[in-house]
Amino acid sequence: MGPAIQAKENKILVLATESCAYPGADSVGQAHSSYPANVYILRVKAPVLFPERFYLDCFAKGIAGIIVMSCGEECPYDGAYHALARRLDRVYQTMKAQEIDIRRLRLTAICTVCNRAFLNEVNQMNELVQTLISAGHA
Amino acid sequence: MTQDKKNDNATAPRIGVYICHCGGNISDHVDVDAVRRQIERMPGVAVARTNMFMCSDPGQAAIAEDLQNGTVDRVVVASCAPSLHEATFRNAIRRAGANPYIYEHVNIREQVSWVHHGETATAKAADLVAAAAAKAGLLKPLTPIRVPATRHATVIGGGVAGLSAARDLAARGIPVALVEKSSYLGGQLARLDRIAPTGERATDLVRELAGAVLEHPDIAVYTDTQVVGCDGYIGNFKLTLRRQAADALIGAQADDIPPAGIRPTGPSAAERQETALETGAIILATGFRSYQPRRGEYGFGEYAPVLTLPALIEKMARQAHQGPLLQIDGRPIRSVAMIHCVGSRQIPGIHTEDEEGRLNEYCSRTCCTATLNAADRIRREHPGTRVYELYRDIRTYGRGQEDLYEQAARNGVVFLRFEPDQEPRVTAADPDDGFALKIQVTDTLTFGETLDVPADLVVLATGMEPNDVSDLVEMMKLPVGTDRFLLEVHPKLRPVEMPVGGIFVAGTCQAPFDVGETCNAAGAAAVKAAAMLTEGHVELDPFVAEVDTARCQGNGACVEACLNPGALNLVEMQIDGQTVQRARVTPALCLGCGACVAVCPTNAIDVCGMTLRQYEAMVDAIVAGPAAAETV
Repeated sequence: MGPAIQAKENKILVLATESCAYPGADSVGQAHSSYPANVYILRVKAPVLFPERFYLDCFAKGIAGIIVMSCGEECPYDGAYHALARRLDRVYQTMKAQEIDIRRLRLTAICTVCNRAFLNEVNQMNELVQTLISAGHA
Repeated sequence: MTQDKKNDNATAPRIGVYICHCGGNISDHVDVDAVRRQIERMPGVAVARTNMFMCSDPGQAAIAEDLQNGTVDRVVVASCAPSLHEATFRNAIRRAGANPYIYEHVNIREQVSWVHHGETATAKAADLVAAAAAKAGLLKPLTPIRVPATRHATVIGGGVAGLSAARDLAARGIPVALVEKSSYLGGQLARLDRIAPTGERATDLVRELAGAVLEHPDIAVYTDTQVVGCDGYIGNFKLTLRRQAADALIGAQADDIPPAGIRPTGPSAAERQETALETGAIILATGFRSYQPRRGEYGFGEYAPVLTLPALIEKMARQAHQGPLLQIDGRPIRSVAMIHCVGSRQIPGIHTEDEEGRLNEYCSRTCCTATLNAADRIRREHPGTRVYELYRDIRTYGRGQEDLYEQAARNGVVFLRFEPDQEPRVTAADPDDGFALKIQVTDTLTFGETLDVPADLVVLATGMEPNDVSDLVEMMKLPVGTDRFLLEVHPKLRPVEMPVGGIFVAGTCQAPFDVGETCNAAGAAAVKAAAMLTEGHVELDPFVAEVDTARCQGNGACVEACLNPGALNLVEMQIDGQTVQRARVTPALCLGCGACVAVCPTNAIDVCGMTLRQYEAMVDAIVAGPAAAETV
């Protein structure tokens, strides 16, 4: 796990699709369900936009964890989800080569009403980054 | 609250940041003034202001004034979810004479103040606003894509909502296709007898509406037909219609068959098994179904005299008779017990979930009045029949409906109130009692007395459930609420619009409505659709790919990665006197997904309004926060 986390404040980045996961996060807010405040949600049309280096740069800048919240098979852009999954596979390979804990990057599908799934994902990622940091990988 | 700041470089972006209190929704948990103080020190931020309601006229006027007097040329608003007010602020910017795409929205309500509290909420809000300001500094004016819109609308569902919407659209000169999967028009309304509280005949309303639709030359009615395919986008949808029973209507005569509705005369508009339809707007009016009690729920399915309210209404309409006692299926009814809230207002831990683990936690809103209407009518027409209403709460919320409650009480309807965790128990009566059933109920109106109500008939006031439209939901990528009804963009601000542009919702597929509310919703949806189509074109957001030909080397990776064939092509062009190949975008076909962006080895292609560089700037700001940014 080598130079795993150089995070400053354990910040977690969520790339949330505008048609599924972002309104899903809003739904969590409408339910007033709390989650850690170190979770930062960026609205994206489709995360397939981001090249491999974007994720690696984020880690290098100090982002502790990244959750790609896609629409999964429900993606309105036919073929985007599979292209994204293939790209993240390549990112994982690079992360392994650079001894970055691959659990810090997660691909998941969140729908507009997936409140529980959203909370599970962000809480699990938060536990992970806290564990990695307290274990001395910060 | 005003903190103007001179900008040394006149060509650098001048960002205005506007932070909303949302009347306390945000400022109860986020110190908006502390956020403002941090943000106004960021480089590029010319002004930072707060307002109790940024979406109010004064809030929007503050933005317009700053734009018009040249204080700012980029705008960031930190408020609620962008689904609610992003369009509001873009329009405010447009009205102020500026380009609406120099705008970035920050969600500090649903994603901050409603989920975090105290200092962490304020710190996170400041980080997000800083990220938005960082992106805003890189925004540039864009031009919307204008595409022609097909002057035609399709209404899916031939109930009262669909009929109303089709009639209203056609009245505004919009040709309409009305698609109904059954053979009949009228929907659930046609199954009713008289409508509470006015007493009008439902069949009269259905006849009037269906007649207007069938006679209108601009409305094509497709009965026995379902939508099985949907492609395209706002203004330019391509639907595939499939007839389910090709011969059902051919040669059919006008046939008014209550309670199933109006069956159109002659052949359906669909002449073939499958029909391709080009349409500019879609109105979903797919309606509801009545809750079907599970076997054993209040004796349903176990005892023949246990009926649902719709079944009672149908039987009373078909078996109309005079006499002191109500008769159902030839049996005199001396006593009837009507149980409210069956399949509505279900409570986790108390009520039994369906086979898919779902409960109907919502109020169906119409059943109280419908039950009172039936009870009062029984008492008026058959005064020898006793009527007991067993209820949790009486919700007669509409005009004239409370009067119906009082009238029923005056006419001798007996009310018993039970708690949800002490539901009435329906069992077979002792043969000596002379009644078929007895209902044991603990009545909170009489200090918790437990009573046995004898009954020849038990009527369950069943609630509404949305019809299963999972095929349309899948096909059109529509959002559905936890209650399984279709989910509009906003219940107050955009109540008949779906998030998918050009698709509208009307009636009880959205929520439990009564007939009047359904017609209101249908009228609103029709007007929205007509307003959109009357222009003859629609404007699409310009968030599509754009090629930097100076960087493009024409290697074609973007064309290969493109998810919509035809949106990206390699074309020959002259650059510096040489013929070279470069990528070219067809904006109307580009999905804006960005699949091309990630694969370009020279970073020569990006999505307007959401470039990779802008995302990188946002990440930088999130990592650094506003305090660090001000030292940059």
